[in-house]
Amino acid sequence: MSNSLDSYLVLSGLLFAIGTFGFLARRNAISMLMSIELMINAVNLTILAFGAFITPLRTHAAVIALIVIAVAAAEATVGLAIIIAIYRNKKTPLVDEYDAMKD
Amino acid sequence: MNFLIPLIPALPLAGFVITGLLGRSMGRDSHRLAVWAVVASWVVAMVVVAGALTHNLGFGEGGFGVTLWNWIPATGFQADMGFYVDTLTACLLIVVTTIGMLVHVYSIGYMAHDDGKWRFFSYLNLFMFSMLILVLADNLLLVFAGWELVGLSSYLLIGFWYPRRSAAEAAKKAFLVNRVGDMGFALGIMAIWTQLGTLNLQKVFAAFAGVPHEWQIAIALLIFCGAVGKSAQFPLHVWLPDAMEGPTPVSALIHAATMVNAGVYLVARCNPIFGAAPEVMTVVAAIGIFTAILAASIAFTQTDIKRVLAYSTLSQLGYMFASLGVGAWTAAIFHLMSHGFFKGLLFLGSGSVIHAVDGEQDMRKMGGLAKKIPTTYVTMLIGSVAIAGVPPLAGFFSKDEILGGAFKNGFLWVWAIGFAVAGMTAFYMFRLMGMTFWGESRVDPETEHHIHESPPSMTRPLILLAIPAVFLGMLIGLPPESGLLHQWLAPIFEHTIAASGRTEAAYTFFGIDGALAIVTTGLVAAAIVLAWRLFGVNMPALGLRAEPRPDRVRELSAQPAMAALYRGSSNKWWFDDLNNLLFVVWGGRLAAAAFWFDRTVIDGTVNGIGVVTTGAGTALRRVQTGRVQNYALGIALGLIAMAIGYILIAVR
Amino acid sequence: MPIGDSIPLVGIRWDDVLFVVLAGTLLVSALLVVTMRDIIRCGLSLTVSFASLAGIYALLGNPLIAATQVLVYIGAISVLILFAIMLTQTKNAPARLVFQTQAWFAAAAAMVIGNVIAVTALTSTWPNLGDRVATGTADVAHLLFHDYVLPFEIVSVLLTAAVVGAVYLARRDSGRREEDRS
Repeated sequence: MSNSLDSYLVLSGLLFAIGTFGFLARRNAISMLMSIELMINAVNLTILAFGAFITPLRTHAAVIALIVIAVAAAEATVGLAIIIAIYRNKKTPLVDEYDAMKD
Repeated sequence: MNFLIPLIPALPLAGFVITGLLGRSMGRDSHRLAVWAVVASWVVAMVVVAGALTHNLGFGEGGFGVTLWNWIPATGFQADMGFYVDTLTACLLIVVTTIGMLVHVYSIGYMAHDDGKWRFFSYLNLFMFSMLILVLADNLLLVFAGWELVGLSSYLLIGFWYPRRSAAEAAKKAFLVNRVGDMGFALGIMAIWTQLGTLNLQKVFAAFAGVPHEWQIAIALLIFCGAVGKSAQFPLHVWLPDAMEGPTPVSALIHAATMVNAGVYLVARCNPIFGAAPEVMTVVAAIGIFTAILAASIAFTQTDIKRVLAYSTLSQLGYMFASLGVGAWTAAIFHLMSHGFFKGLLFLGSGSVIHAVDGEQDMRKMGGLAKKIPTTYVTMLIGSVAIAGVPPLAGFFSKDEILGGAFKNGFLWVWAIGFAVAGMTAFYMFRLMGMTFWGESRVDPETEHHIHESPPSMTRPLILLAIPAVFLGMLIGLPPESGLLHQWLAPIFEHTIAASGRTEAAYTFFGIDGALAIVTTGLVAAAIVLAWRLFGVNMPALGLRAEPRPDRVRELSAQPAMAALYRGSSNKWWFDDLNNLLFVVWGGRLAAAAFWFDRTVIDGTVNGIGVVTTGAGTALRRVQTGRVQNYALGIALGLIAMAIGYILIAVR
Repeated sequence: MPIGDSIPLVGIRWDDVLFVVLAGTLLVSALLVVTMRDIIRCGLSLTVSFASLAGIYALLGNPLIAATQVLVYIGAISVLILFAIMLTQTKNAPARLVFQTQAWFAAAAAMVIGNVIAVTALTSTWPNLGDRVATGTADVAHLLFHDYVLPFEIVSVLLTAAVVGAVYLARRDSGRREEDRS
């Protein structure tokens, strides 16, 4: 099982689905961000799985994964800073209260 | 002649413009310019007429055409501002300008105390201009222009005292009913244009034989439609009695002498068109004679003196159309001319009577006026005798020619009805005379003191009109069917008469013509005597005297058959009510339904689109929650849809 | 002493067992992240899932990435998330609803997405498919600093910008609070 690409791909697909569910369903803004991190990690897993099983892509996959991790870190930082700023304004971390753009 | 002919309509036009613009400031003299313009026009017209009838002064055997300028120079459609004068035009010119001039002079006295005198005279001049354009025009478009202008002028003149509601409504009625006929006329002109490509009258007549027969019938019917409207034939006759709301000179001008004759002139001028469609000529005769007896029957019971004369006009016009329809063209024009003179005389005389009794128009409040207003009385008596058809006055010759023509051309039913109408005419005219001039005075006591003869400006036209009423028949109608008038008009009608296969048989006094004349005269005499016995007569000069017997009249009209006829006649045979029901009531309901439809369905649809849009917008607004997660769900769902779509395509 | 390829008596390969354990941990902790009520526990569960991912990366023959995962994700991002959770705590958070109204639709959408990915992955044939091979760090380094040096530099600029931005955004300055609330 660990020798077949399919299992890694299915695993990452499931992880991505879980991340999507969390992103769309949770009320807390930080939960949304955590779900985003899950989705990014699922993508990372996919990249590395392809790299492990397809020889020409081996090193490239590693480099891409590194850069993805770096970018994800940056994004998490800024995202959390924004959430903290919004929390200071709205006094609540719940995203269904952030409806100032409502029609 | 090139200069004189356009001058005839130009003078009244100038009078209209100047009096209309400056009349208010001219004050008491506002009538002078208008009257002088018409007098000058009459002088010029008489010169032209003399030339036309004697073939001198530039007139050849045919007519004289003058083209002023190219009015509509569009490719494919040409119309000129041109005039054409031949003997038929000359006859009409005599009637129009003479009676027009006399009416203008009469109005000086009649409208002397009216503040709007300047308006009246400017409208009168406009009317003269329009009628002259109509008569002189050489192409149908110009005729139509004159036609419409005459309608406009009559609207302005009938509704002259516009503050009075009945006058304003009568003017509207005249205009609208005329319009119905005008629409037919316009369609006829368009039909002529499509078939022949030209509107010039002489060219149309020359080429008319080449038109397919159905089109000939259609064109003739449509042109007759216009004549029906303008000359108030059935069923468009309803406007003429109400048009009595206008001042009496207007009634004389419009309804005796000019406007209503326009229809007769049109049919006579277009005789090649009608000659090519004998079926339409039968229709013309039928409508004409039916109008004659319809109007005569209504005149029996009218109590307003002007209404009796209005219905009498309708009846005589019916005679003229019947004459045109049976093919007695010249007789129709003869009757047109003589009728113009004696009806004008009767209308102006009635105006004088009304002036004398201070505005009262109901004959039941008149009576015994003969001694008090002698000039008016004598002239009106002459007019009544003329219209009744007593020889040797004008009416006898013209009416007899019509009836003779009907009989000899085979239209026996036309002859029979016309014969009856002749008797009816005599009866109601002498009823009018009896109720107005003879018997005891039923006038209101206070006005009785003021009864006076009219001023000379009003009585002189009466006298001047009485002369042709007496002598015109003998002048141009003798010998019958070959007199002066026949000589003048023969070239115009001979093609049509020849094409119809009939020849105008020579008048045989001791044959059929003489028999008809004697029989008609007998009926007329009997009717006059009956009228005298019922309504009285008092002519010491002739030794005739009888007392009116109102109770006998009442007794006769109370019998069941007569009572029903009486009711019908005094209700004008309910035609006005029928029109009211059809057009005002039902038309109003139809309009209300259309209004409802427009407001509810159409506006509702348009508004509904707005409402639906707004509602959809309001409903769709709820998608915009402002929350990122909802939008993200939307993205996710869209993504899924796209992915499934791709998979399906890949599977296929 | 070498362990050998598979478990002695049962015959299951160690790799497979490791994979199943790590994968199970990953999925369970991920589910806990998205479904637990207490958000601090969600954060901790996230850390566990990061750790199991690091293990899977190592299984895939990529020790460099596994180490990076531990360092960056567990060491920095998880800590950051926990700090943010604590900064945005409200007293009554656990008592209220955890999920939105649209959670059912979200679940359906997530299941469909997962299905689509799984089906696609399972039914596709990949070119050049071979056996699992480990990646050498020296090769990665060589690639990173030769062919991908520009992205590398840009990523460092990005990180600097992110840090500056985060500091600015989250700054609490008592003199500026009125303007911030515009």
